[in-house]
Amino acid sequence: MTAPPLAARRKPPRKTLARIVYHAVMLTVSAIFLLPFYWMVISAFKNNAEIFARPMLWFPDPIRWENVADLFTRPDFPFLQQFLNSCFYAGMVAVGTCLSCSLAAYSFGCLRWRGRNFVFGLTICALLIPPIVTFLPVFLGWSKLGLKDSYWPLIAPYFLGDAFYIFMLRQFFLGVPRELMDAARLDGASEFRIWWQIVLPQVKSALVIVGLFAFVYTWHEFFTPLIYLQNREDFPLSVGLFTFRSQRAAEWSMAMMGATFTALPLLVLFLFTQRFFRQGLATKGF
Amino acid sequence: MSSVTLSGVRKLYGIHEVIKGIDLAIEDREFVVFVGPSGCGKSTLLRMIAGLEDVDYGSVMIGARDVTELAPARRGVAMVFQNYALYPHMSAYDNLAYGLRRAGMTAAEVDRRVRDASAMLQITELLGRRPKAMSGGQRQRVAIGRAIVRQPEVFLFDEPLSNLDAALRVEMRTQIARLHHDLQATMIFVTHDQVEAMTLADRIVVLNGGRIEQVGTPREVYHRPANLFVAGFIGSPAINLLKAEVLERDGRALRLRLAGEVECLLPGLWPGVRGGARVTLGLRPERLRPDSGAGPLLSGVVTLAEHLGGETILHLDGPQGRLTVKTPGESPQGIGDRVEVAMDLAEAILFDEGGQRID
Repeated sequence: MTAPPLAARRKPPRKTLARIVYHAVMLTVSAIFLLPFYWMVISAFKNNAEIFARPMLWFPDPIRWENVADLFTRPDFPFLQQFLNSCFYAGMVAVGTCLSCSLAAYSFGCLRWRGRNFVFGLTICALLIPPIVTFLPVFLGWSKLGLKDSYWPLIAPYFLGDAFYIFMLRQFFLGVPRELMDAARLDGASEFRIWWQIVLPQVKSALVIVGLFAFVYTWHEFFTPLIYLQNREDFPLSVGLFTFRSQRAAEWSMAMMGATFTALPLLVLFLFTQRFFRQGLATKGF
Repeated sequence: MSSVTLSGVRKLYGIHEVIKGIDLAIEDREFVVFVGPSGCGKSTLLRMIAGLEDVDYGSVMIGARDVTELAPARRGVAMVFQNYALYPHMSAYDNLAYGLRRAGMTAAEVDRRVRDASAMLQITELLGRRPKAMSGGQRQRVAIGRAIVRQPEVFLFDEPLSNLDAALRVEMRTQIARLHHDLQATMIFVTHDQVEAMTLADRIVVLNGGRIEQVGTPREVYHRPANLFVAGFIGSPAINLLKAEVLERDGRALRLRLAGEVECLLPGLWPGVRGGARVTLGLRPERLRPDSGAGPLLSGVVTLAEHLGGETILHLDGPQGRLTVKTPGESPQGIGDRVEVAMDLAEAILFDEGGQRID
């Protein structure tokens, strides 16, 4: 059989038109979403006058690179220290969430014990309790322990599990063949070793997703560090940036530069881990 | 190697009793096959021997040791799973070595054992590959290798050939039989495939509803099934079960009347069988022969003819119900043909009204 001539293999005009419309819509929507981000970035490289100039300057001219140096050297805004605080805070929460939630999810999804479903039900019920309800007793508890002005109250709870992530990971764990764990038991592995060496590698993408979600959520977390932390040097960026904006309301370019550098790590993180996001969406819809 | 003894073993899931008191003694170096329909408890029983399921009542002995409460790894058993259960993120080498490392063996000893087992199973060239880069047969051989390296007292196989295609099944079956011969190991094999059971087993354990129906050699369970269940379950195509009434004792034979007013003489003494008793006559498909002229005749219309090359299986619909006839070679009969078949009653099996075999 001979191949059809090139002209015959061309897409019909209606299909081509549909593709053009589809891409036009997608580009427009993307532009709408990107516009605030673009505005933030270009404003970071302008001075106040240029930011509010009319007509609007769509590209900074000149590009004020000195704003970058200014951000990292200002005595009234310890940006670098707060950036490191945020990395520590979000990183520890991500690690704690992954460890504690995967352990709990392993127990709920892979082990059989009396009352398991009841306890799992209770855990899920915890999702229904608004955090603000438990906030005051928890705050008083940490105060009594003398750990109020530290990262302990911000990080430690995440090493004790989170109902949503436990539920999410359990769904992934249920998909791991039971025979793998049985084989490991016959090979003499303890339950802890089975969790660590056999099961976790099978749900790597889910674990990365949980870690990323926890990291991103914590990176933006504002209320809890605002309540527990007192010193400017201890603030994470979310609170630090807010405090700076409150005290230096007129310095828009500095606020935008701070916001740009705050958003940058998340962008880089997503670029390197989007494969896992796609896998997670494809497998379990998260 | 060791014997395995199960005494009064029971298993409950909530209020459901899935294993209802099993007593079984498996000899050292014996190859025992558990067969039965889906849900009969054969895999559960195997997992109880492995220690992967708790024994609610009774005990499991391996050799002279009571292992009922022992952890799986301390029982001296190795298991091959239906879906291979190879660790997907590890190479074949690491899959084989994992259990040995857990047992605290030196790297040199681990390497020696892995190399020996892989040479025996001809999987040396696969050692660097991960399971996803192997075919089903290769994965199965690696899974068997993982069991061999541990040098267990008892090998447990949980339907290990179910996921393989027909040709590979035959090849792996032969390999497992050879392995049993070479290792002289005690092996327990779970399957629902009768051909596997008949070809591999020293003894077959037929299970139904969590109970043992019969334990015997393949010849025994085929030719002398303990009851109607075993008779119906063992053998492919299935045995013909014909309802009959005992008319009278005629010398050293029983005169039976089958449906359709067919009468026949069943040779044998049959003590305890009285005239008027309702019985079931069991005849294997190869004991019915089209138009052979020898023996009493049954007739039926062909509803399906399976031409398998070396033999033909005819499914008939007649006054006695459905009949299955196995004849050697090609049979000229086709669908819709009326066929007369002769019964070879020398190998007939008789069951009483309760379904138990009458000797």
